[in-house]
Amino acid sequence: MATVLKIASNPDRLSLRSAVNYHLEVTLAKMSKDIGPEDYQLALALAIREPVIRALNDTEARVRQAGAKRIHYLSMEFLIGRLLANNLRNLGLYDVCAEAAADMGLNLTDILETEFDPALGNGGLGRLAACFLDSLASLAYPGYGYGINYQFGLFRQSFINGYQREQPDNWAVHGTPWHIERRDQSSMIPFYGRIEADLDDNAQYSPHWLDWKSLIGVPADIPVVGYGGQCVNFLRLYTARAPAEFDMGVFNEGDYLRAMEQQVAAETVSKVLYPSDSGQAGRELRFVQEYFFVACATRDIFRRHIADGHRIDEFGQYNAIQLNDTHPALAVAELMRTLIDEHAMGWDAAWAITQQSTAYTNHTLLPEALERWPTTLFERVLPRHLEIVYEINRRFLSEVATRYPHDNERIERMSIVQEGAHKEIRMAHLAIVGSHSVNGVAEMHSELVKTQLVPDFFDLWPTRFNNKTNGVTPRRWLLNCNHRLASLISNALGTGWVSNLEQLVRLEPLARDAAFVKEFLRVKLLNKTDLAKRIRDATGVTVDPSSMFDVQIKRIHEYKRQLLNALHIVHLYCRITEDSVPMLVPKTFIFSGKAAPGYLLAKLIIKLINNIARTVNADRRVGKSLRVVFYPDYKVSVAEAIVPAADLSEQISTAGYEASGTGNMKLAMNGALTIGTLDGANVEIARDVGEENIYIFGLSADEIIRRRQTGNAAREIYESNADVHRILTRLLDGTFSQEDRGLFAPIVRALLDQGDHYMHLADFVDYAAKQQQAARDFQDPQVWGARALMNVARSARFSSDRTIKEYAGDIWGLKQVV
Amino acid sequence: MLMEDTAEGDCLVVSLMEERLDAVIAASFKDALLERINQGQRHIVLDMAHVGFMDSSGLGAVVSILKHLGTKGWLHLYGVTPGVMAVLKLTRMDRVFKTFDSRQAALVS
Repeated sequence: MATVLKIASNPDRLSLRSAVNYHLEVTLAKMSKDIGPEDYQLALALAIREPVIRALNDTEARVRQAGAKRIHYLSMEFLIGRLLANNLRNLGLYDVCAEAAADMGLNLTDILETEFDPALGNGGLGRLAACFLDSLASLAYPGYGYGINYQFGLFRQSFINGYQREQPDNWAVHGTPWHIERRDQSSMIPFYGRIEADLDDNAQYSPHWLDWKSLIGVPADIPVVGYGGQCVNFLRLYTARAPAEFDMGVFNEGDYLRAMEQQVAAETVSKVLYPSDSGQAGRELRFVQEYFFVACATRDIFRRHIADGHRIDEFGQYNAIQLNDTHPALAVAELMRTLIDEHAMGWDAAWAITQQSTAYTNHTLLPEALERWPTTLFERVLPRHLEIVYEINRRFLSEVATRYPHDNERIERMSIVQEGAHKEIRMAHLAIVGSHSVNGVAEMHSELVKTQLVPDFFDLWPTRFNNKTNGVTPRRWLLNCNHRLASLISNALGTGWVSNLEQLVRLEPLARDAAFVKEFLRVKLLNKTDLAKRIRDATGVTVDPSSMFDVQIKRIHEYKRQLLNALHIVHLYCRITEDSVPMLVPKTFIFSGKAAPGYLLAKLIIKLINNIARTVNADRRVGKSLRVVFYPDYKVSVAEAIVPAADLSEQISTAGYEASGTGNMKLAMNGALTIGTLDGANVEIARDVGEENIYIFGLSADEIIRRRQTGNAAREIYESNADVHRILTRLLDGTFSQEDRGLFAPIVRALLDQGDHYMHLADFVDYAAKQQQAARDFQDPQVWGARALMNVARSARFSSDRTIKEYAGDIWGLKQVV
Repeated sequence: MLMEDTAEGDCLVVSLMEERLDAVIAASFKDALLERINQGQRHIVLDMAHVGFMDSSGLGAVVSILKHLGTKGWLHLYGVTPGVMAVLKLTRMDRVFKTFDSRQAALVS
């Protein structure tokens, strides 16, 4: 037993088998006849947890010894994906585990498939946070994530008669060996109450926050294993508990009901990601969630800072705090409160430290998506913080007034407080004012932040604004999800590319090597064959792996224009069935993504795609030349199956709406050609891979603005373009909704009667032309394969390692601790 | 609720022998101390060494005791644990209450 409990950092297959058997028998108490693949998965995770935790402790000791600055990444979401396979790859243990599994008559892949995806995020913002944590650890930066340990993440999606059905995703019920609960580092977090004004001994205003209610934030750490296994950081997630839970006295007195009520109410705070904000209670819960994790994180950062032996006035020298969007913007007020109230610091010194440590990443250009909280809610939940925000604003507006005398409109635009009948706090303004750095997430997006979103702030503080183009970790998104391509690359270049993606450029000459391209295409076909099996299992639809896999996987939103893709499929269907024009190449359109439960039009688009799929896939006239599938319950593990198998990557958002996108990067890195608009990071992908290796179409962001000003003319397009006319007619004539012809009328109304805000029709002709060009190019496998390989070779800049190095150098002032 | 009183000259040392000063005991704790004040006790040293957790009800009780004493006497705290001190700092009450490291210091100040 003793050897089992001291598993080495580089165990052989024998010791791994021994450790797995130990955990099956002792930790999980499983009898041999009851053991299934999920048990092996848990036992294997428990076995490698041991060296991981030792490396975690060693890493912390090194950081403390070095007296290094730390970065704390605050995010409402961390879409981390399954952990075991990724950790095995990063530890370099994957192959030996596969051998050990084979020794036991098992298939490691089957075992790994049983792990549940932690449902701790929604979309790109959360996945970006997870990629950043991987890069921080792989580059040996002291960097930590802080968030909420949601019991129910985003919903589990299934389809009933083509309609999205939402069910709770109780992912945590399956248990995870990766959580390390740190009850001893729990924090008491106050909410509500009132401020009692007082004067201190020097007759200065001295408010006291009284009559609050409290929650206990209990942290659990998920180790983040860097590539090579030397550096292991952590993601610290907080669960909300009632103080009563710790009070056995309440139970002992027999007042079980009151104790349980308190506990249930408190635990709601870490129950669900994004509670519906349509009602007052949902909005308040969301606000409480945001403060809860910000306050827990702040207390933890101060606690560690003091434990590291530093003085409070050195806080900004040793700590950086990155706000991932405005959700953690309350950190600005919480830092000020902590420094002033708890550490008796003067305002100016506290403000200098707050700005020195805080930086803000903007993720959206949609003004309606920028968070604002009513002052009435703010005052009720966080009375002391509202006082602080008002004081920050008073001082800030005084600075604005000095710089721009007599410009009251500017002051009104820039104020953190939006005046009016219902006063609101503009969280983006609070984040900008309280940070020393404000960054966008792609070059185009960062420019639009400066020129369109908050031009007044850019005018005031031009050097505060910068760009950090997003990236994705090549460990999860190439090495782990596409092991065949990873092996092909490693055989050609060695393995250095995994930690230095710039080496991929050495693949460029191989794009002219017919044998290598053939091998590259063979890998793609195998990946597509794997995905075809998954699709059959998940949807019952049989797809041809040799067809072009045209993939659109992302949240369902009008601006992302899954509808444009769907309209084009209807166009192809009509060409086959009505014009007798065959497809240039067989195509399989693959969709996956969730619509927000309250977003009715997005849910209707899902229904439309499912109905198109049902009609097209059943039509004998189409044969095998056209297939449409909607893969249910999109999540990281689904993306990991689809991304390696994609031929064409749909990145077709209305220009000016997508901040960056990261799916576009993953797909290009795995050898898919992009069909896309000049939006977000597509612009940079186009520049890097070369215009001959990408299909760019559609109106530019400037053209979109001009077209809006002069009138979109969607109806004129409908009336003058026979293809568009026919497509929309088919949406209304029951072709795809025999049971209810009017079912898709709201979609047609949005396009024709409500101005087609997202310019589907204006971009349709160009989109269809580029689709046609892509199909023609796909007919020549060598040409297509060479272009796809060039996408891989030129994807280096989209590694999150590059992004993190830029953050570390330009914003955080961070050094690696090796 | 467990409390121990020890007379030290004209001071009364009250040791609260509970791990939590919260809504469960706050009212009875406050009543017990107010009763002592009403009986004429003016100098109170509160031994908080056993209290690891204090919520806003507990804090409210201690604030009431202080206010009840007003300018007629004083309330000194000692043995304040990190958990309780965090609450005092959070509310800025660390600037209102006089806290001491030892019983002796609390008595002679």
